[in-house]
Amino acid sequence: MIECPSCGRRQEPSLTCADCGSPLAAPLDCFAALGIPRQLTIDLDALERRYHELSRKLHPDRFASKGPKVRDASLRATAMLTRSYRTLRDPVARGLYWLELNGEKLAENNKRVPPELAELVFEVQEQLAEMQLSSDPEQAHERATEVAARRVELQFKMDEALADLERHFAKWDQSADEKMLTQELKTILSNIAYLRTLIRDVDRALENTKAA
Amino acid sequence: MARIFGIDLGTTNSLIATMENGAPRVIAVGEKGSALLPSVVAIAPDGAVTVGERAVEMEPHLTVERDGRVSAVGFAGGEYGAVIRSVKRYMGLGGDEIAPEDRARYTFADLSGPVVRFQIGKRVFTPSQISAEILRALKSGAERALGNDEKIERVVITVPAYFNDGQRQATKDAGRLAGLDVVRLVNEPTAASLAYGLNKMATGNVAVFDFGGGTFDISILSIKEGIFEVLATNGDTHLGGDDIDRAIVDWILAELPHTLKLDRHVWNSARMAAEDAKKSLTDATGTDVVVELPGHSIRKHLTRDALEDMAAPFVARTLKRCELAVADAKLTPAAIDAVVLVGGSTRMPMVRRRVAEMFHREPLCSINPDEVVALGAAVQASVLMGTQGDMLLLDVVPLSLGIETMGGVMERLIHRNTTIPTSVAEGFTTAVDNQTHVDIHVLQGERELAKDCRSLARFKLGPIQAQPAGVPRIEVTFLIDANGILNVNARDERTGREHSIDVKPSYGLTDDEIERMLEEAIDLGEQDLEERLLISARNDAEQILGALRKQLGEFGRLVPDGERARMDEVEERLEAARTGTDRELIAKLVEELNEVTTPFAERIMDAAIKLALEKKSVEELS
Repeated sequence: MIECPSCGRRQEPSLTCADCGSPLAAPLDCFAALGIPRQLTIDLDALERRYHELSRKLHPDRFASKGPKVRDASLRATAMLTRSYRTLRDPVARGLYWLELNGEKLAENNKRVPPELAELVFEVQEQLAEMQLSSDPEQAHERATEVAARRVELQFKMDEALADLERHFAKWDQSADEKMLTQELKTILSNIAYLRTLIRDVDRALENTKAA
Repeated sequence: MARIFGIDLGTTNSLIATMENGAPRVIAVGEKGSALLPSVVAIAPDGAVTVGERAVEMEPHLTVERDGRVSAVGFAGGEYGAVIRSVKRYMGLGGDEIAPEDRARYTFADLSGPVVRFQIGKRVFTPSQISAEILRALKSGAERALGNDEKIERVVITVPAYFNDGQRQATKDAGRLAGLDVVRLVNEPTAASLAYGLNKMATGNVAVFDFGGGTFDISILSIKEGIFEVLATNGDTHLGGDDIDRAIVDWILAELPHTLKLDRHVWNSARMAAEDAKKSLTDATGTDVVVELPGHSIRKHLTRDALEDMAAPFVARTLKRCELAVADAKLTPAAIDAVVLVGGSTRMPMVRRRVAEMFHREPLCSINPDEVVALGAAVQASVLMGTQGDMLLLDVVPLSLGIETMGGVMERLIHRNTTIPTSVAEGFTTAVDNQTHVDIHVLQGERELAKDCRSLARFKLGPIQAQPAGVPRIEVTFLIDANGILNVNARDERTGREHSIDVKPSYGLTDDEIERMLEEAIDLGEQDLEERLLISARNDAEQILGALRKQLGEFGRLVPDGERARMDEVEERLEAARTGTDRELIAKLVEELNEVTTPFAERIMDAAIKLALEKKSVEELS
């Protein structure tokens, strides 16, 4: 229970007081903050509408002439709402958050190459090394063109992985096997995390070659 | 509750606006009924302050007298009083961030501290104090214009979207020093979008290109049913029309010897000529630039093409920032439904052309680019008063915020372009047994290493109860409010108790310093007006007498006997009067002495320029 800073009545954790409608700074999970069911598939347009509607109710600009306690509650409630929206809007962030809710976590520095990406990673790294080592300008240009083509391929893989993630979201929402769900989610997300790092490395290398 | 007003505290001009019958309008605060108050502050050696048009007249410059002689007038800085323009460029800067060319413009006090301080007479002024004078002038000018005894107390002040935490804090401090309650800081491009959005001219994805006197911002917004949501912002807080003016000045003064280029009278005269030329080239394709020096005239012809060559590198920088913002918004230029132009520098035909090319559409400029930010600030003020229906602004933080971790690496906690208000909680513990304090270094910026980011503040957590390493668990919450300013608090995770934090801002003023400045300001205000005027007159006398004696010592040979006798006579009378209390007599004698010494001052200037030019021609010959 939490005390409403505006009317003083005790409230169940929520973003707004059930009695007077003032903002409450109660700790909530992202789904509860936006008042939506705990599900992996989310209709993004509906989510945005919900976010805007709640922002209109909670935002500090709505309480500029109120006392410091109410303003503080509005500030904290809005900060929580904004963070929750940002997390749920992005499928990858949403997946990672889901793992966290279930007491699981991707290793922070995911050094182990996912088996299905091993070959690709090896090839890309070799190409990057070749590009950076080539001293002849013409040869360097040729290598850079190859790497740029790779960049397109990687993006394609990434889009595929993201689509795969969305497909699994729908499947998992129907399934009851929590344990299998978490394992599969972990695999897909770590692939995505790895691809993301790879794309960033390629972009940096291309940027550096362009600058040089 | 008192009305909230909107203020655009600009680099070149400042404005104040309010809502009237559902529409925002600017208030005429200028002497000639203009709404634009030049952001120029003149401070006499005794601390007397002048703001706006009259301060512009006091800037050091060369002027052609009726008899054709050229003389140097205005406050030249340091002990002679100073005129400060574009103070916004110095807001939130530390002493070590002052560029060499800034030192040629102004006299600074000790630059080793966390805040830049201008040295004027025996006093020092921070940029927040100078900005507070502009705010005071806006407040009193607008109260006079309203003429209904209404007091202006609560305001919204606009800041560049790309302002960092320190620059925002310095702006809030300026408001506080001016005795204003700053209800909200609003980003300038976002404010501009509110002014356009009110007329339903802009819906969908909108890019606001804000190129002002000193700063550049690009913001990409999505506007939907009254919600103005910023998707991404980028910019440069040291990129504006001032930079283009400086490039023109360099071209005007190119042939002059170095020492003369740095002379504040010469430089500022060239700056005024540069500004005029730039403005006339908005319509014309060529213009004559003339700067009269004693015994020497600079006459050049500037074409629009040549101006565009000089401006090109600066415009290119704005376009690069646009690309980054569009990419951060996860859009393409073609997905932008409208482009809005803000700021005086968007009057340049080249800027309009390049922006149109970049976004494949003609930009909107139906609202005066000088006024649109102030008008938007008034709309936001009305939102805050609850009189603007469902309209709501969701802005973002322009720069990532993080902490320094092992090995001097910046760990990002809040990414740039995150919607604010936002918060993130981070757990901290101790590294050695019985450690009683934990130091946290907060940074802002996009670079990987802490040393390449801007230091925001250092927090000392503690005292922590003595325990083995790793046992204490302290949760620190970093919260960025709707103004884009960081707030930090810490909580012991086991006891749930709030922890005290000792905050040392890396740049800017501490609360104590602001309190002290406020007390000083009140002291000054309560002093008897008559007494202040007398002190001011005495200071004028002291200043002119001191300067005259110094010059006579150095250049006495330039004064013919007859002239010398007249000077001596007036000097003696002023010396006698200045210890008395007849303020008007002192003022009259100061003026008289000024008059009899003017030919002498001109000769000194002539001699200096001749000497410099001779030296230059000798150098050229050899």
